[in-house]
Amino acid sequence: MKEEQINELLNELGRRAIEPVRPGLGEEIKQRIPHRLSRHKIGWDTVNIIIDLRLSKSVAAAAIIITMILLLNLFGGRDLTSGGIVKDGMLLINYWRGAGEDHVLIARSKYEHLLDRGENVIWYGDSIDVKDANSALMQRKLPDGKYELTFPDGHEKQVDSEQLVKLLTRMLEKRTK
Amino acid sequence: MKKKAKLAEQKADLTYLKNTRRNTDSDKEYLSQRRDSLAVRLRTGNREAAAELVDEYYQQIYLFMRRLGHDRQVSEDLTQECFFNAWHHIGQLKDGKALNGWIYRIASNVSRLHWRKHKHKEVIGIEGIEMPNSGKGEPEKMEHNEQLANLKDVVERLPQKLRETIILHYIQQLTIAEATEAAGINQGTFKSRLNRALKILRKNIK
Repeated sequence: MKEEQINELLNELGRRAIEPVRPGLGEEIKQRIPHRLSRHKIGWDTVNIIIDLRLSKSVAAAAIIITMILLLNLFGGRDLTSGGIVKDGMLLINYWRGAGEDHVLIARSKYEHLLDRGENVIWYGDSIDVKDANSALMQRKLPDGKYELTFPDGHEKQVDSEQLVKLLTRMLEKRTK
Repeated sequence: MKKKAKLAEQKADLTYLKNTRRNTDSDKEYLSQRRDSLAVRLRTGNREAAAELVDEYYQQIYLFMRRLGHDRQVSEDLTQECFFNAWHHIGQLKDGKALNGWIYRIASNVSRLHWRKHKHKEVIGIEGIEMPNSGKGEPEKMEHNEQLANLKDVVERLPQKLRETIILHYIQQLTIAEATEAAGINQGTFKSRLNRALKILRKNIK
């Protein structure tokens, strides 16, 4: 059968394959119209709009992350002039440029960022062998008295002062060798 | 004399055709203006516009559900659910042109979710085909009606995605752009599905 014939038949089927609709259905639906129709809600609607715009998932994720960082900077009590947004932006850009693999670079950025915020941090990255996964790149003192150590492979560990002394001694011994 | 009469007849035909075309154009314009106004009022949260939307679409949506293979009761429930969802997504409606695509997209999603929950449910199409003035003694008409019934069966047996494209574009008479929006896929995919469905129909219709 020719395509045109099929098209005609399908159109005809649309006109003729019908059945009566229950008369009360329209009224029932109308009764359920809410008193206040919601126009635009922020939340899932925003996500749906992003999906409607057919943005790729990574672009949508990036947009959400940037928005969150901006909101945190604006409402999180951090001073804009301290360079918080700039630093975070740099971190993000470095990550996108493939620096995500370079944990030393990320740790360095984080160190500078924490230092700017006035936190108690010490950088060991210049004096250790970064290939040694057991050497700490950076030390940060936490409010509860413990120390957070960052290692060259990117992982972080919390230690108490005794463990910290042991680790630093081991690092010093390796360096003198 | 005969020639003159024929010429006059041809002129009359031409005038009629021109008038009809003008009428269809003005009808289209009127419809588009009405839809634009409806969309604007819906976006402002106007309840009367919502009632107008129900009046204009509830029969279409019910039949759409029936054609997708849901039984009468489920089709009624899904039609109600479709409008219920529409009230909550009015913010997504862009303009009058998008009205068809928007409401059918909601309807398609409601139907798809139902099929996902009831995977093994049987497809129940509309039972009969309306036969206008088909005299029993006319073999051509009988054959044509048989062909239609055959086509209806084949459409009902199509895989769900292909069936949906045929129903949206041919049976519900949506344009390709509207049907694409309703199906929630890009135009290329929609056209390819349409071609696949038509190929199957061509193969199976005697």
